[in-house]
Amino acid sequence: MRGAAGLTAAGFLACGLVLMSSAAVAQTPLPGPAPEELRNIQRHGPWSQPVPRDPSNRVSGNAEAIALGRALFFDPRLSPSADLSCATCHLPERALTDGRDRARGGGAAKPRLDRNTPGLWNVGHGRWFGWDGGSDSLWSFALRPILHPDEMGASAAHVARLLRGDANLACRYANAFGRAVPPEAAAESALVDAAKALAAYLETLVSGASAFDELREALARGDATAAARYPDDARRGLALFAGKGQCSICHFGPNFSNGEFHNIGMPHMVEPGRVDPGRHGGIRRVRADKYNLLGAFSDDATRASGSRTLHLAQNHGNYGQFKVPSLRNVELTAPYMHDGRLATLREVVRHYSELNVDRLHQDGEALLKPLRLSDAESEDLVAFLRTLTSRSFPDLNPAPGPCERRGA
Amino acid sequence: MTLKHCARAGCALAALLGASPGAYAACDAGPGVLRGSTSRVALAFRTDPPAIKVGELFSLEAEVCPEAGTSVTGLRVDAGMPAHKHGMNYRPRVSSTGPGKYTATGLMFHMPGQWQFTFDVETPAGRERIHVDYTAQ
Repeated sequence: MRGAAGLTAAGFLACGLVLMSSAAVAQTPLPGPAPEELRNIQRHGPWSQPVPRDPSNRVSGNAEAIALGRALFFDPRLSPSADLSCATCHLPERALTDGRDRARGGGAAKPRLDRNTPGLWNVGHGRWFGWDGGSDSLWSFALRPILHPDEMGASAAHVARLLRGDANLACRYANAFGRAVPPEAAAESALVDAAKALAAYLETLVSGASAFDELREALARGDATAAARYPDDARRGLALFAGKGQCSICHFGPNFSNGEFHNIGMPHMVEPGRVDPGRHGGIRRVRADKYNLLGAFSDDATRASGSRTLHLAQNHGNYGQFKVPSLRNVELTAPYMHDGRLATLREVVRHYSELNVDRLHQDGEALLKPLRLSDAESEDLVAFLRTLTSRSFPDLNPAPGPCERRGA
Repeated sequence: MTLKHCARAGCALAALLGASPGAYAACDAGPGVLRGSTSRVALAFRTDPPAIKVGELFSLEAEVCPEAGTSVTGLRVDAGMPAHKHGMNYRPRVSSTGPGKYTATGLMFHMPGQWQFTFDVETPAGRERIHVDYTAQ
């Protein structure tokens, strides 16, 4: 077998020839990827990858905690009004988003929130959570909608009562954490444990390989026949993505995100007179968060997992920055951007093609330039993005068996 | 002055630039050592891990070698992508580990491409700035 670097342009030409013969049409074979493009392609794998254990969460990877987290994720009683669960906005049938531009809150008012509901597939591969990265762990991220007055608006006491009052939840809690649900006086501990169980569940939400991954693997092993199965328009789009478009600089790595924050010229007025500060506010929030990785609720005694939080830099350029989203399954998570203002992938591509550089901070990113794509190139880029859709997803909510107390 | 370096094999350490070998002997290059200098100060450092991974925190150990008769009173470390006009999203912390020796933690290159380290060496005679280029893969 040949390695990725060994698959030459001639090898890729052979892919084109295979396509020609099978389709029996006279087409000019696509040029092979340049070595640098090939290297860029290989950076986006392998996939899929399990989420590493989180040292700040003592039940990360724990099967009992995953079962508890799964039960809580779909339980509307987590909200005091019993009408809002995590799955209300992270809908399984919508790739764990809600299809709205901006999320709706809970309670009677169901207010329109400021931002788009982020998808949760592969969320555990991130290092900052939320559009502004205001949470530095998956469990502190899970706490936010539970406590936020415009979302579930729950309290620690409410969550502790739910865990204590439901025999199945109490049993799963005891199995996961090795103790009974704490009493009222220690309700905050129960709340954080619930969030850690939710995080343990979220870590399991890893989607399967996509057509792109099949191409990547084929290129890695030098399998021209398998590589030829990848659609031509998507291959041209991939060349744009990893080449001229420079998309892969920020949409980097196996999860197609460098996990950081950039200003891409999106308007960030929430409403007249009110600005979404983006990452600037997120840094402020995570630093002040008593549930951050440097705080007392982290299970990482070394606090090493909090190094990123410790070293965070904040500057004026953080205004208007939002997290680089993963592009895996992006076809399924419309609408797009932090406030859902772009309805389709075509609109997203058009944004980068016609980028208004006047919207970017003067002291901001100099990487972004209008791509000036032709209509055909735009269609190719969209075709490529559609090949990032996983061919398989794990079952989100398998019927849990009855809980049996271990060691009771 | 700058020193070009990339992490890939075959593109390792380039030649020393501008340093007078006698004064900077302790800062001479060795395996895995990156180096930069001005006419008055040389600096050698190793990163941990040796090949910097995009999106992962790394640290470095630096040794500053001033010309004879000069002392080093401090070191600041930063990095950025000149072509993109941005720095790091993280602020490293530098601590002294001995005369002329420093450790910097909390650095991260969050994008692939051309980065540039900036070392500000404080001496009684003023600040000496050293740039060292690095290609993050």
